[in-house]
Amino acid sequence: MSEKSSSGRDISRRKVLQSAVSATSVSLIPLTSCTTPVSAPQKLLSREAWLILEAFTDRIIPADANGPGAVAAGVPYYIENSLASWNAEELEVLTTGLFALTSAARNRYDLDFQLLSDNNKDALLRDMEDGKIDAFENSAVIFSRLHRLTLEGMFSDPYYGGNQGYIGWDLIGYPGAVMSSTAQMQQMGGRLPPLHTSAYGSDYDGE
Amino acid sequence: MATNLAEIDVVVVGLGAAGGVAVLPLTRAGLNVVGLEAGTWMNPGRDYKADEIHNNVRSLVTTGNKVAGEIPTVRNSPTATAVQQTRHPMMNAVGGTSIHYHAQSWRLNPWDFKVRSATLERYGADYIPQDTTLEDWPVSYADMEPFYDNVEYEVGVSGKAGNIQGQINPEGNIFEGPRQRDYPMPPLRSCDFLDHMYEAGQSVGYHPYHGPAAINSRPYDGRPGCQYHGYCDRGGCHVRAKNSTDVSTIPKAQATGNLEIRDNANVRRINVDNAGKITGVTYSRDREEFFQTARAVLLGCYTYENIRTLLLSTSAYYPNGLGNNRGQVGKHYFGHWDIQGGTLVTALFPFDLNIWYGAIAQGVMVDDWADDNFDHSGLGFIGGASLHVYTEKHPIGAAAMGTFGKVNRRWGSQWKEFIKKNAGRTQTAYIQTNTFPYHHTWADLDPNVKDPYGVPVLRVTNGRKQNEPMAAAHAANKMEAWFRAAGASAIVNSGGGRGPALSTHAHGGTRMGTNPDTSVCDPWGFSFEAKNLGILGGSVMCTAGARNPTQTIQALAWRTAHHLVEEWDEITA
Repeated sequence: MSEKSSSGRDISRRKVLQSAVSATSVSLIPLTSCTTPVSAPQKLLSREAWLILEAFTDRIIPADANGPGAVAAGVPYYIENSLASWNAEELEVLTTGLFALTSAARNRYDLDFQLLSDNNKDALLRDMEDGKIDAFENSAVIFSRLHRLTLEGMFSDPYYGGNQGYIGWDLIGYPGAVMSSTAQMQQMGGRLPPLHTSAYGSDYDGE
Repeated sequence: MATNLAEIDVVVVGLGAAGGVAVLPLTRAGLNVVGLEAGTWMNPGRDYKADEIHNNVRSLVTTGNKVAGEIPTVRNSPTATAVQQTRHPMMNAVGGTSIHYHAQSWRLNPWDFKVRSATLERYGADYIPQDTTLEDWPVSYADMEPFYDNVEYEVGVSGKAGNIQGQINPEGNIFEGPRQRDYPMPPLRSCDFLDHMYEAGQSVGYHPYHGPAAINSRPYDGRPGCQYHGYCDRGGCHVRAKNSTDVSTIPKAQATGNLEIRDNANVRRINVDNAGKITGVTYSRDREEFFQTARAVLLGCYTYENIRTLLLSTSAYYPNGLGNNRGQVGKHYFGHWDIQGGTLVTALFPFDLNIWYGAIAQGVMVDDWADDNFDHSGLGFIGGASLHVYTEKHPIGAAAMGTFGKVNRRWGSQWKEFIKKNAGRTQTAYIQTNTFPYHHTWADLDPNVKDPYGVPVLRVTNGRKQNEPMAAAHAANKMEAWFRAAGASAIVNSGGGRGPALSTHAHGGTRMGTNPDTSVCDPWGFSFEAKNLGILGGSVMCTAGARNPTQTIQALAWRTAHHLVEEWDEITA
């Protein structure tokens, strides 16, 4: 679209910040360059938060008959990298949200979120998305942001830590980043063969 | 205290799509020109990436450091408190927004310049929208033609003519005004999906054509042709095939030896003498303030900053802002997004489209339902919208597609199966509506919100439009029929739009006219009140065509600069 709406990601990001229960000082967060790729966890999130996040992304894009899901693609790494850099201002509110999710799991099932059955996780996530969890008032906003970050991690260039092995791009049939395309690469009649190429060269082949 | 700099001929404020073109005729005529630009040079190798996170999610090309602090506020009623927006269409860089725009490069059609009189003549006064401040432009298509031609050849535009001196060619747009010659380059490459849409358009009686683009379809002016890699949107061109002014007209102006570019220069005000004549421009750079004396000033920022700069440049002679002694600065503002925000028609096809690559300007266009290209009798509105289908699809955006009611939630295995099959099988048409000025829609300084310098930002007040949503909904239904003819299996048609919001196609606010009581600029784009001040940009436009405004902005900028050269003695006297 040539027209660019003034709505979009930043609006929802603002909502998420407005919904923060406690004020947070972003200066405490280690800021890395937003274009620095990080392929290993930075230990920004606690182990507890990491496990909840991993379980969350696993239910958004599960491994199933249609192929591997968000965890195999490294989506939690993408999210952690983002919260350590470009989206640092969301770190506090989103981790608070993850703990609120696991509190709801304990209230309802007496288990941490990541330990629930898939069916129970999904039931809780539906209520989270619909804003129907007691004492978790901003659950819909938190869900929306984590959902969005999960999609970003699954389908972004592997440079940023997600989409490892081009799992995300293979799922939807995006062949890969190229500097030039031919008419053949725009022909209809079936899926294009995967190229498995990153905008940042062969160092980011996702392996 | 500001450091005084020796007098030069012309200061051009802003080296984007408009100012970046105006410097060429000025410097070729031998005038000494200083270009003040709030941003700096972009470096294609370093700054432009085939990366959706970089361009679209994090906006790392489009987000300049100055504009981020001066985004206008918006409200939808004169009694509401306006809220500052978080995204904006402006960009600070040599080349400005022409770096990241889609480069669809149209002439307006003859009707656009005379909407009021043509409507009165064909349909009568009842068809003039209520509450509009619509006036005919003070220039006609014929007046503009030579300047459109200059832009097409000097900036570089690819396309196929539909009307050369009255000779109609159905390979081009049969509704366009007569042009003296064809484009300098053939249209961008077509592709399977576009060929398919082209045939479907013909099958329902439309007149599809491949749209024009300020992108090289073959090597031109020493730069290569488009590589169709699919990251044109919000990105710059990695091979300089997109003809942003930083690679086209600005280097040509520099080659004359008459252009000095001062980047990272924040213009604070335009200065005047006791008689209201422009004396120069005050700007800050590296925390130092400078006063550049000039014989004439051309203000060529984005629409919002053109209006704001005038309103902030108060003086004894202009207590309400420069050139605003009749209260017209900020009036007659309007944007495509006022209506377009919800005018979306999205189709799902039962086959892979393979439009990941390409460019948004690689498209097929239909003008049958735009402008006055069809009989509006009994329809209750004037104008319409162009229909555009195109390529370039990014993976995150593709996965975030709407689900056409086929799955309940956008997560889980069902959804995953849906996007696996369909993420490459959907496209949204681009529908641009003829849009007009109204009494209820204007821009002024926000009384509360300030930029990081403590200076008020602009405030946009929007009223509810009646005509444009009807025109958009009419066109959206025609788009739906086109998609169905192409074999779409599901369509979401959001109807007439919900807007309004800030716009990448912001128009008006310093409009041209023949009457100084209802316009800011004379028919040449110079202030009625300060005659050695010319204004460049969408802010001088009187109506919005059913198409992207940039080529018209550039042709007007050329024309205003040309007039300054021709009438130099009188204007600077």
